[in-house]
Amino acid sequence: MEFKLEAHRIVSISLGKIYNSRVQRGGIKLHKNLLVSLVLRSARQVYLSDPCPGLYLAGPAGTPAVAPPQQPGEPVAGPPPGWGDPPPPAGPAAWPEPEPQPQQHDGPGAESAESVVAVAEDAVMGAEAAAAWSRVERPRGAVTVEGSDVIPEGPRAGESQSVAPPAVCPRKRGAAGVGGGRTGCAMPGSTPLKKPRRNLEEQPAGGEEEGEEEMETGNVANLISIFGSSFSGLLRKSPGGGREEEEADEGGPEAAEPGQICCDKPVLRDMNPWSTAIVAF
Amino acid sequence: MAGAGGGNDIQWCFSQVKGAVDDDVAEADIISTVEFNHSGELLATGDKGGRVVIFQQEQENKIQSHSRGEYNVYSTFQSHEPEFDYLKSLEIEEKINKIRWLPQKNAAQFLLSTNDKTIKLWKISERDKRPEGYNLKEEDGRYRDPTTVTTLRVPVFRPMDLMVEASPRRIFANAHTYHINSISINSDYETYLSADDLRINLWHLEITDRSFNIVDIKPANMEELTEVITAAEFHPNSCNTFVYSSSKGTIRLCDMRASALCDRHSKLFEEPEDPSNRSFFSEIISSISDVKFSHSGRYMMTRDYLSVKIWDLNMENRPVETYQVHEYLRSKLCSLYENDCIFDKFECCWNGSDSVVMTGSYNNFFRMFDRNTKRDITLEASRENNKPRTVLKPRKVCASGKRKKDEISVDSLDFNKKILHTAWHPKENIIAVATTNNLYIFQDKGN
Repeated sequence: MEFKLEAHRIVSISLGKIYNSRVQRGGIKLHKNLLVSLVLRSARQVYLSDPCPGLYLAGPAGTPAVAPPQQPGEPVAGPPPGWGDPPPPAGPAAWPEPEPQPQQHDGPGAESAESVVAVAEDAVMGAEAAAAWSRVERPRGAVTVEGSDVIPEGPRAGESQSVAPPAVCPRKRGAAGVGGGRTGCAMPGSTPLKKPRRNLEEQPAGGEEEGEEEMETGNVANLISIFGSSFSGLLRKSPGGGREEEEADEGGPEAAEPGQICCDKPVLRDMNPWSTAIVAF
Repeated sequence: MAGAGGGNDIQWCFSQVKGAVDDDVAEADIISTVEFNHSGELLATGDKGGRVVIFQQEQENKIQSHSRGEYNVYSTFQSHEPEFDYLKSLEIEEKINKIRWLPQKNAAQFLLSTNDKTIKLWKISERDKRPEGYNLKEEDGRYRDPTTVTTLRVPVFRPMDLMVEASPRRIFANAHTYHINSISINSDYETYLSADDLRINLWHLEITDRSFNIVDIKPANMEELTEVITAAEFHPNSCNTFVYSSSKGTIRLCDMRASALCDRHSKLFEEPEDPSNRSFFSEIISSISDVKFSHSGRYMMTRDYLSVKIWDLNMENRPVETYQVHEYLRSKLCSLYENDCIFDKFECCWNGSDSVVMTGSYNNFFRMFDRNTKRDITLEASRENNKPRTVLKPRKVCASGKRKKDEISVDSLDFNKKILHTAWHPKENIIAVATTNNLYIFQDKGN
């Protein structure tokens, strides 16, 4: 139990750091944000693998009607949905491709912020959701493929991020592809990327290889409530307004009806504002 | 602890401290880099405000050569200014990340200084004579009325008070998308490398309008990013060899003869992780913050959050020596993550003979490890010991349990007082240790 609380606490702290990094002088520091996102991922994995059914708090009144999740702690088949990984083959959810959304990007911008954001999202979502998200995330990440090198951006990137809902059609962006992000970048085996990523999947040592169960989508609402009111304002806003509101709005009800999103699926409706909020980072 | 002379224990004494006394530290005064030049006569510091201050060692007075000369301010100049990248809406900090000296070729000194985006080559030259006796100008510079000139004379050089001038000779800009963390001058003294989070570029000192990219680890899909470059350095003797360290705790050695783009390493140095030490923060603390070749070129040293490791270039699978800097912090990683201390980037350095290595810690402590005797010592940079030739008392941190007299408990360490930057004179036992905004110089007592 305490592992879960500890993991939860670390996730909150990490998200706070990512948030604060937006306003740091000198722009977003790629290295630090990468490390924070790795911690976020580890904490998420521990959070999910620690079987503790009693932890999930009752959702607030407005919790969207989502089928109660599988018991937490059920083992997952396949490797954990990683950052940019293809969805786990055993993922039961078969999300339709999110509808194409025009992405307002002045430029690829905030590459690191996006990637970090992707992991932040992973941290709060179920595996099934993550399966879908990895398809969704990649396109956003794929946006960076087309662009010239851009420094991870500060507030400006955050703005453009909040405007664009995360569910961008991957097909528009090409290179990274859908569901096979890795194939799009066939790097020679000796680059640092493949090896560390493989390691990451094989990790964590500590017996969690089997433990990366699929996340249940119903947890999302619970997780949102767990993370507390500081993110509540984000849930209420449409993607376009998300950013402006997030600083002003604290302490609202967590489960307020999410704003406009691109996908009809009720679960996605829950998740999109959440991820939009994080995207706003 | 054996010094450069070998054999006898060094007793480190306070020599000097530079910088403001007040506890209220102006952010611009925070020292961000310290570097001796090749002879050790000059000591350069860079700060967060973009300034470079160079200290020069006084020539030894042969008569009273009790200690080596003191370091006094030689030159101060504003190297970098804050900039704003309008296209990306990004402020570029003026903080000096690194200074590297060029070997001296003529009367002037040259150094490279860099902030996050731009590297500059500075020429520091002395002027101790000036022309006097112009015909058309008065000594104060006013022009004389030509009609009053009745005779001609030849202007001559007369001595004047020494003036040290710094002028930017080259500006190497617009080559880095990410933040520059390292610069390193090649042993050919014609080229140098600059490294940011994802790329390493090779420059020629004379050419500012282009550079060659020699390492690029940026993934096609940024979401697949798993590691970044944290430091890079050229080999001290082989002009074709350099290393770069990563946030995953690996070091790659590359040979520029192998290919133009050195994405494929020639050697990969990595120590397998100890599974019993695994925690949420294992990845952070394995990130290498500094890599330095030994003067001999046979070894290299890496610094991660808790330890210093010495690697033999001929052995890739593990370091030959590992020294724990502050292992008592391992149980505090969560708090250190919360207060951001876990992201502190400590540097490390070799002494001139490669027998002792030094690195900083918290509470204004710094540590030295003697590779031969395997002894280590913890010292403190503090104004309390500021009588010259006062021998520094070794400090000890009590990890847990009963605290002995004179020991300091982990919980009373001041994590705001961190020593990130240290430098060792290339030939003598003189060290420069930077606390937040002060520079301490220590020397060994025996002379």
